[in-house]
Amino acid sequence: MGNLNLSPITVQAIQVLTIVLFAPLISGVISKIAALIQGRRGPRILQPYYDLIKLFRKETLVPEHSSWVFLMAPIAAFACYLTVPLLIPVLTTFGLPLGYMGDILGGGFILSLAGFSVALAGIESDAPFAQLGGSRAMTFGALIEPTVLFVVFAAGIITSTDLPYAMAATVRSSTSEIVRPAHVLAAIAFFMVVLTDTGRIPVESHSGTIEFGMIDEGRTLEHSGAPFALLKWGSAMKQMILYTILIDVFIAPWGLASTTGLVSVLGAVLALVLKATLVGTIFAIIDNSFSKLRLFKITEFLAAAFLLAALSVLVFFLGGG
Amino acid sequence: MQAPAPSSFAGISDLIAVLVLLSAFAMFRAQLLRSQVRLYAGQSVLVGILTGFLAATHHIAELYVFGAISIILKVVIVPSVIIRFLDRSETNLSSSTSMGIASMTLIAIGVAVVGLFTMDSIHFESTALPTTALAISVATVLVAFLLAIFRSDVVSQAIGFLSMENGVSVASLVVASGIPLVIDIAFLFDLLVAAIVFGLMMRVHHARAKTLSTELLDRLKG
Repeated sequence: MGNLNLSPITVQAIQVLTIVLFAPLISGVISKIAALIQGRRGPRILQPYYDLIKLFRKETLVPEHSSWVFLMAPIAAFACYLTVPLLIPVLTTFGLPLGYMGDILGGGFILSLAGFSVALAGIESDAPFAQLGGSRAMTFGALIEPTVLFVVFAAGIITSTDLPYAMAATVRSSTSEIVRPAHVLAAIAFFMVVLTDTGRIPVESHSGTIEFGMIDEGRTLEHSGAPFALLKWGSAMKQMILYTILIDVFIAPWGLASTTGLVSVLGAVLALVLKATLVGTIFAIIDNSFSKLRLFKITEFLAAAFLLAALSVLVFFLGGG
Repeated sequence: MQAPAPSSFAGISDLIAVLVLLSAFAMFRAQLLRSQVRLYAGQSVLVGILTGFLAATHHIAELYVFGAISIILKVVIVPSVIIRFLDRSETNLSSSTSMGIASMTLIAIGVAVVGLFTMDSIHFESTALPTTALAISVATVLVAFLLAIFRSDVVSQAIGFLSMENGVSVASLVVASGIPLVIDIAFLFDLLVAAIVFGLMMRVHHARAKTLSTELLDRLKG
């Protein structure tokens, strides 16, 4: 059994399946931990799966004035989230056949396309709060973009490539690669990007029901039934994809499979789920220890993230990176 | 071709220097005067850590003494004196600025870039710390200077000056970490004098104007 080798294409399919199947689990664990921190019993860890099953069974209602975009956008976003795991190191240390189809920026573009589709769906819904959410998500998305670019620059100049696999291999190679300022600063900046993009405090309250504070959450207010299930599933997948990039490219690219053997691939799946749970725990703790920033103060948070990312590149060019 | 990583020693010391710079940036964010003083204490701890790290890796016993004295002075004495002053004054708990924090940060990034690349073009070789730390320390001085310019209250301006001194401390570690202890302590004595002068000025200003804000000073004539 230990010698059973999978074909690279199978491994690549397992990468996508890992994200698809375990993303709701990670969300469930995070809300369970958040509940424990707040002294509640909280929902079951598997609750997100039950929610998805329930939503898939419900009927789909479409607002009167919306067009086909309203129904197609969730599918487009979901397809984007299915594509990104092909490009990033989810389970393996080596590039899989389709892994070189796009670089870090390519993955970033596809994630942006997904965000754009969801925002478009919100705006198409003709409901004020969903439109507000859509326009806010685009505004803050534009402000976080420079940080993402500088993080990509940092990864690019450290490895002289634009492949996430190369960055992960560099981090694994020695301790001095981990403590070099360019890497540490870029990793922290990316951590802040993940906080923003997964709608966590200090940027957005994840479990709030107050529409005025909503950014990402607001976009999906008008959806129901299967499209809403796809949106929820998609946002859980986006969260896990971002965690995976943070873990497997920047902070802990250990425990990945170096062969296509069945055992090592399954071990990598387990390692990824454990690491993502750990990162999720950290995010849950942050989520419950700080207060949400006022909407117009979010720019300060994003400016801090940009500062870290820009310093990372600058220090590198000074020869100290 | 992949860019080689600096050694772990250079990486860690650059990282601490960058953290000193970042704490100078954090002071822009800190609205409460009290949290600014705390940030200054934190920045001084970082400078102390860098001194200790340098002393440990280069086996310079004098630096331990220097680090210990500067931590006592900059982390305990000066901040507690300012905090006590704030406790007594009971006015102006927060600072006022004419500009948004995000735009101040962007301007400060620009100024820091000037500092970084100016020092980088000098090609100074140091035996103690990597040259990058020198560039970062100059950026720290400029950013702290900017803080003193942007903020219009005496405490922030004093903190800006004192954290400029922290930047200079890092620079002195790079340039002259082997100088005799007497000279090091003379520098610290200078700092103590500066702290006393600032303390006096803050008190006098507060006693005269009944506020910590310096905006009033624009209107005074002759």
